[in-house]
Amino acid sequence: MRNNLIFLIFLSLPIYAQKIENNKFNLLSPTNVKKFADYLYCSGDYLRAILEYNRYSAYSEDDTTKFKIALSYLKITNLNKAYEIFNSFNQKSLLFSYAEMESNKIFFQQNDYKSLRNNFNKIDSLKIFKFPNNLKELYYFSYLLANQPLPPLEKFLSPFEKSDLPKLKYFYEWKSSSPYKSTWIAAMLSALIPGLGKVYVNEYADGITALLATASLSYLSYSDFKAGHIFRGWVFGGIAAGFYAGNIYGSIASTQIYNVKIQYDFVNNLKVFIGEKKYFTPEIEFCK
Amino acid sequence: MTSITFSQANNWKWGKGNYSYAIKSDENKRDFSFSSDNIPVFVIKSLLNSYWFFISDVDGDNCPFTPSCSNFFLQAAQKTNFIQGSLMFFDRFTRDMDFFEKNKRYPSVEDGHYYDPVSLYALNKNEIKYLPPSIIVK
Repeated sequence: MRNNLIFLIFLSLPIYAQKIENNKFNLLSPTNVKKFADYLYCSGDYLRAILEYNRYSAYSEDDTTKFKIALSYLKITNLNKAYEIFNSFNQKSLLFSYAEMESNKIFFQQNDYKSLRNNFNKIDSLKIFKFPNNLKELYYFSYLLANQPLPPLEKFLSPFEKSDLPKLKYFYEWKSSSPYKSTWIAAMLSALIPGLGKVYVNEYADGITALLATASLSYLSYSDFKAGHIFRGWVFGGIAAGFYAGNIYGSIASTQIYNVKIQYDFVNNLKVFIGEKKYFTPEIEFCK
Repeated sequence: MTSITFSQANNWKWGKGNYSYAIKSDENKRDFSFSSDNIPVFVIKSLLNSYWFFISDVDGDNCPFTPSCSNFFLQAAQKTNFIQGSLMFFDRFTRDMDFFEKNKRYPSVEDGHYYDPVSLYALNKNEIKYLPPSIIVK
């Protein structure tokens, strides 16, 4: 009997070994699909990682895979699809807080500050949400980018680290008293002295060129009239008037462009600051 | 990482492209037609056709901007009206005469011209799309 049992065990060993080996080389087994998907995700091939994670989800659906699919969509800037998946997380899920945070980041990235604030008010009351401070930071950053009155300075600075307060104070003050320049002042200055409106918006070279063009053409016109060359006098006078009026117009246009430029620089600096300081944390490190 | 992500989102770029190595210039795109519903624009177009045919095409591609100053004048008059278009043209001409460091103030297009579109100067704030000088406009 004992010998028979040993014989049976020996007989089954190759079968068992074969089974393990088969599983190891079955590339479409759930474990291997997941491994491959993780590999693709970690090497930055997000588009194919989504396909493999979806293939894996057909075998077994879990929140981590779902979260990684959403993150992959986020990485390839398909924000709507990413939001759709993040938003589907249940409150009982361990990844709920992370998913909510990612949803809010998407609102922030899409400049949808209204939805961000609505969501903030909704989530702030939830006790299960793990990152109220991070969300608060994002919430207050949104005030710097939206065209809305700012909250009081102390309230605004409250969720941030002490080391960042000077820079944040600078952003706050820039926003509260934006250094935009007036189109009217630029036009008046150019009317007074050609080119001065351009100098007002830091276009020094254009300002000097406008002054030289207007002055030299006016002088030509004056000297032609003085010498009795009436036709040439009118021609140069007309061109000088064109440059003079064009410069007033150009000063107004340049002021508008200047205002758009400083707003662009402000937003850019702010986004660089947010990126550098990793204010978009917390992020789960899936690839170590 | 960013480049990989970007390349995935823009996979249409991977296809075969038809490239021409000829120097691109406005002369090749010139439309010498006279059709216009607007009389001032018709007058400007007639004058510009003569200017292009007798002077500019002979003189060569000298304007540093895209659109060229003559095209800018035409587009400005089409977009706004004759008076505003003329003011925009005089302002553009001042910027054209300015010799100081244009490369620090305007973005470039692929053929090396500075990009300076009409929409920036039409006094419509919503149309102003600021582009930093470091980028190349396609």
